[in-house]
Amino acid sequence: MRANPALASSVGLYQQFRQQGYNFFAGVPCSGLQAFIKDLQAASDLPFIPAPREDMALAMAAGAAMGGRKPLVYLQSSGLGHLVNPITSLLKPYGITVHLLISLRTQPFEHFEMRRVALPLLELLGYDDYTIVEERACDA
Amino acid sequence: MRRLEVIRQLAAGWTDELVVATTGMTSRELFVARDRPENFYMCGSMGCALPLGLGLALAHPERKVVVLDGDGAALMSLGALALARHLKLPNLEHIILDNGAYASTGDQPTCSAAVDFADVGFQVRVIRVEPGNEPSTPRIPYDPLEMRERFERAVRRSA
Repeated sequence: MRANPALASSVGLYQQFRQQGYNFFAGVPCSGLQAFIKDLQAASDLPFIPAPREDMALAMAAGAAMGGRKPLVYLQSSGLGHLVNPITSLLKPYGITVHLLISLRTQPFEHFEMRRVALPLLELLGYDDYTIVEERACDA
Repeated sequence: MRRLEVIRQLAAGWTDELVVATTGMTSRELFVARDRPENFYMCGSMGCALPLGLGLALAHPERKVVVLDGDGAALMSLGALALARHLKLPNLEHIILDNGAYASTGDQPTCSAAVDFADVGFQVRVIRVEPGNEPSTPRIPYDPLEMRERFERAVRRSA
């Protein structure tokens, strides 16, 4: 999947990704992805993987991809910086594909700078395999 | 013991184990000790060898996965050791070659002596090795795309 238009909510997203064949999920939670994560937790056929940091989730997804899975990593935009190293030195040189589900935070002040740089950073990295959820109502 | 000698001894005992080697000289010395399609040389992404091995072990519970790590890399992603302990995957072994140093970059000290890796992680085997690197160790000569495809074929072969 290539970059989609930003979504307003993660309701129903888990089922959509399963229908598209995604079968490995790891990440770090965001309040903007609560509906997605709740559905993921409820899935009985896949383990719930509480990754301590975004780069670890992405490396797990890379390992799963090499094992034949179709992986997705979910994260809050604040953790996007942690992906720069594994995207540049693992995913891109080795040609490994992982879809990113990114909750783009807009408020409060600690998110302002990442809100400004998140999409340009992905473009600079040449990474377009992602979906953005811009959850304006999220409060954590 | 020298790290290369330890890697030689470990590798001599491997049959169809999938081995994920951490960045830097550990990967390069594994290449010298025993290159095989079941080796994934993770050149870069320091700290990501263990989580990569976890993802692989989850995807293939019937295959044994060995993560060949260093103390500096394990410290960088100490949270991944906790995740490994949480997941308790029986088919994953985490070997940490502990020389108390960032040997690949010139033997600058790490803080590994402050941590009991086996108490944080799961199926961890800490092996003390001497600091330093072997002279004239070649870089991994493979194109990364071809190396990954070779590894994936090895994953599928006995799957």
